Amino acid sequence: MKLGVFMSDFKTGSDVLNRLSAEKLGIILVGNGIYHATVKDTGKASSILDKSANFYVLAEDLESRGFNSSNVDSRVKVVTYGDVVDLMFNDYEKVIWI
Amino acid sequence: MATRRLAFVIRSLPYKTEASRLALTHAIASQTVEIYLEDGDLVEPVVCFIGDGVMNCLKNQQAMKNYGLTSIEQHMKNSLLLDLKVLICKEDLDKFGIKEDALIMDAEDIGGETKAQIVPYSEIQKEMEAVDHLQFF
Amino acid sequence: MGKLTIGCFSSLVGSLSLDFAVKLSEAAVKKGHSVDFWVSSNATMLSKKGQRAFKDYSALAKTLQELFATGKFQATACEACAEARGYGKEDTMEGWKRHSMDWYLASTFSADRVLLIGGD
Repeated sequence: MKLGVFMSDFKTGSDVLNRLSAEKLGIILVGNGIYHATVKDTGKASSILDKSANFYVLAEDLESRGFNSSNVDSRVKVVTYGDVVDLMFNDYEKVIWI
Repeated sequence: MATRRLAFVIRSLPYKTEASRLALTHAIASQTVEIYLEDGDLVEPVVCFIGDGVMNCLKNQQAMKNYGLTSIEQHMKNSLLLDLKVLICKEDLDKFGIKEDALIMDAEDIGGETKAQIVPYSEIQKEMEAVDHLQFF
Repeated sequence: MGKLTIGCFSSLVGSLSLDFAVKLSEAAVKKGHSVDFWVSSNATMLSKKGQRAFKDYSALAKTLQELFATGKFQATACEACAEARGYGKEDTMEGWKRHSMDWYLASTFSADRVLLIGGD
């Protein structure tokens, strides 16, 4: 399946994400999920970024929390709400929120 | 005539939030959805419990006695009474040391015939791939 | 163009998840898609009329009215969830419908994409 996952939290949800498998996986970091793209905990980037997936982070939620694209891990693409809609309809056949 | 299959994947603990209760009540609502659809069209739910969500499946819930609330147990039994497919993740039960005899596996006491199934996570993954839409609670 | 069904349980005040759902709806409608929007649980607060906009709280009523005006957005609140919170039919914002949960299930039947945002 082609699965898009909205990751909306920083400290919860990784357990679910780690078990999910998909032929094509997209992880869209929204809300407090944006910290996965921006924060290094004890010097290390979030382990979810090691997953085999395409990563996106919502620009509005980055900016709301004091970050911008220069703070984002190189594996993660910054996207707008409009881009998210296109991802949902064009790239992923199922979407979930965790 | 068509059938759309929806997965209701419950990963939340019961009672603190409404998530697991609403997953079950929404799944049960599939039984009356025909009023909005063309003849023969159906929405078929499959309910899966994973992670902490397996705690929803424990027997002897006394929410009615203590809070005047329909228990998640009752909603699970209603789901089984209505022949919904209910899957419980084996690895997560093992992780918490929960045995089958501690779980709500049937609704025989209210006349149900369908039983819940304890399955490996790989079976739940297969269901998630097979359904038309996935929802996590 | 496709149809997106969004279900949301999160509260209007105390969470930004409902803001996300409304902004996503806006973006989808702008791109020509249609959106069915379902609120259960604490999200039914979104359907209540008479909300005052303060800068410290999410205020989505104006955006919703603009979305309704497009004709590509319909929103329904879970009737039992609203009644349980003391929101009667007379308290419902113009444009909203109130139904039982089977409305949401029926909407998913013809949806191209379904996004369920559970409670926070």
